[in-house]
Amino acid sequence: MEEMIIAILRSATPLIYVTLAGVIAQRAGIWHLGLEGLMIVGACSTILGIVLTGSVFYALLLACLFCILGSIIFWFVVEKLKANQIIAGLGLTGLGLGGTTLAVEAIFGTPAAVNAKFGLPKIGYVFGDIFGAFNGLSILVLLMPFVVFGMWLLICRTRLGLQITASGEHPFAARSVGVNPSRMRFIALMIGGVLCALGGAELAAGSLQIFAQNMTAGRGFMSFAAVIFGASHPIGAMLAASFFAIVGALGIRAQLVFGDDVPHDLLLGLPYIATIFGIWLSAKLRGGAKAVSGFDELRD
Amino acid sequence: MNMQFITIFRALLFILLALALCSVIFVIAGFSAVELFESIIDGAFLRNGAMKHALRWAAPLFITSIGVIISFRAGYFNIGAQGQFYIGAIFAAFTAEWLNGAPAFVVIPACFIAGATGGALWALWPGLLRLKSGADEVITTLMGNFLASLILIYVTGGPLKDPSGSGQQASSRPLDEAYRLGNSYELSPTIIMIALSLGLFMWVIANRTTFGVVSGLAGRNATMVEWQGTKLLRVGLASFLISGGLAGIAGTVELMGPNGRLAAGFLPAHGFTAILIALVANLSIAGAAIAALFFGGLASAALYIPVMSGLPASAIEIINAAIALFITAKSKFLDKLFSLGRAKWKK
Repeated sequence: MEEMIIAILRSATPLIYVTLAGVIAQRAGIWHLGLEGLMIVGACSTILGIVLTGSVFYALLLACLFCILGSIIFWFVVEKLKANQIIAGLGLTGLGLGGTTLAVEAIFGTPAAVNAKFGLPKIGYVFGDIFGAFNGLSILVLLMPFVVFGMWLLICRTRLGLQITASGEHPFAARSVGVNPSRMRFIALMIGGVLCALGGAELAAGSLQIFAQNMTAGRGFMSFAAVIFGASHPIGAMLAASFFAIVGALGIRAQLVFGDDVPHDLLLGLPYIATIFGIWLSAKLRGGAKAVSGFDELRD
Repeated sequence: MNMQFITIFRALLFILLALALCSVIFVIAGFSAVELFESIIDGAFLRNGAMKHALRWAAPLFITSIGVIISFRAGYFNIGAQGQFYIGAIFAAFTAEWLNGAPAFVVIPACFIAGATGGALWALWPGLLRLKSGADEVITTLMGNFLASLILIYVTGGPLKDPSGSGQQASSRPLDEAYRLGNSYELSPTIIMIALSLGLFMWVIANRTTFGVVSGLAGRNATMVEWQGTKLLRVGLASFLISGGLAGIAGTVELMGPNGRLAAGFLPAHGFTAILIALVANLSIAGAAIAALFFGGLASAALYIPVMSGLPASAIEIINAAIALFITAKSKFLDKLFSLGRAKWKK
């Protein structure tokens, strides 16, 4: 059981960080499909940072820097150039996936996986032996509940959070009380950039200490689904992301139990199926988009 | 005509902006942007037989992009072309395996029907989830892509596994020579004909039939269309099925043409590139034919540049992504510029 909880925490933590980034963007009125791209940029720059500078602190700084840079580009394109959020988000994701491959190729000559000698500090290393079996988890796992709580405070209990929410829900109303929705979206995306960097760092350097091409494997999109499933509330989104992680962990468990009786490639698909289920359920419960998505802005 | 000119001009301008962003990324990564662009242009459009290579990649991309256009016009973001492409290819491969030994004039049409069915089925469930319960199709089709590539890994490593394979990449048994529409060395006129006739057929459907007009209107104003007595469910589902079916046909073309077998994770950027083509063409089928040539050229350059100049192929991926980032952009500044121009022309 303990092992199971550790496995779930390991796979849920990166998802939760990135989901929080999606939540705050969603609140500000941006459908953030670039999460996948920012996440892999975070993962890649953390590992490259550790390999090149030998310091976890600088590596995290580098990850935050690149993710914020990506967020600024995304904000500029979506907000200033009024590009379609979904397509621009997919573009950002492609830029992240391609850019990280290119960066690895530029530095090491081949696009193969990169190993770092060490990863993020472990709980046991920082706080001593007080968490028992959980000592092997990285400090970002320990930090996660506080970040979730902090985001809840920020979004639901501060002026800035309410202004961000208002900019997403009713930009006109926000503007009429002197809030600049565009600036609120900028702030939301910057906070999201840092969160994506942390999520990517945890994914690559939390327990594995490795960066491989396309290693996010749709986790960013899954996080986006968790935002929808969790009604873009920080706590709800955390629960939704945990649900996807639990299903994934159960899939891995099932591989051990069933062995070769069930093809394991198909068990790997369980989190994706859970995501589809989650989207369906939230549409059922809260009433989804009944009207068409609207592409008219494309055809002027 | 002026409107069309403006649209094309705007698309080109934003593509240039995207390329500028790319060169910044290349320079940061430590490559010479000039050298990279030179070899990409060379690989895509200038080298010997570049046109042939571009056409080889453009034909399946064009077929998939027509499907994307149909669903985008109807107002649905079916971004699952990649998954529908894979499932179509898988269905076709199973059909070829099952009918192995039958004459080619039976097997080839059967494979195409199976491929189209497979692709359509993979678009059917997101369509139903969307239209029946309002589940957002962007996420469901995206998840469908990941599921389809897992299914492809399973199929190529399990039921259709080639026992003589070298083990490096799981792949299915190669198709019988008699069933192939072309090979990987030369351009197949059959495939070009298939792409062109599908393009013509879908152009007629989109622009000259009730379905085309109504689905196009539904994308702009669904409420109005519904009030006028159209069953939105039927139109929406049809556009999902058509777009999935076309992606499935593209998968079949790849299987029976240049590839000749299924391989795990083959052409991973196909669906995304097809979406780009649809957007660059501003959802016009005729425009997609031209845009497909451009992106087909880029796709062939992705194979060319690592071999010829030792530069990374991921550069092409970055160019495509940057174009996606900017292609739907509008800018007030540009609009002002255009409206000034238009006023002048009127005089």
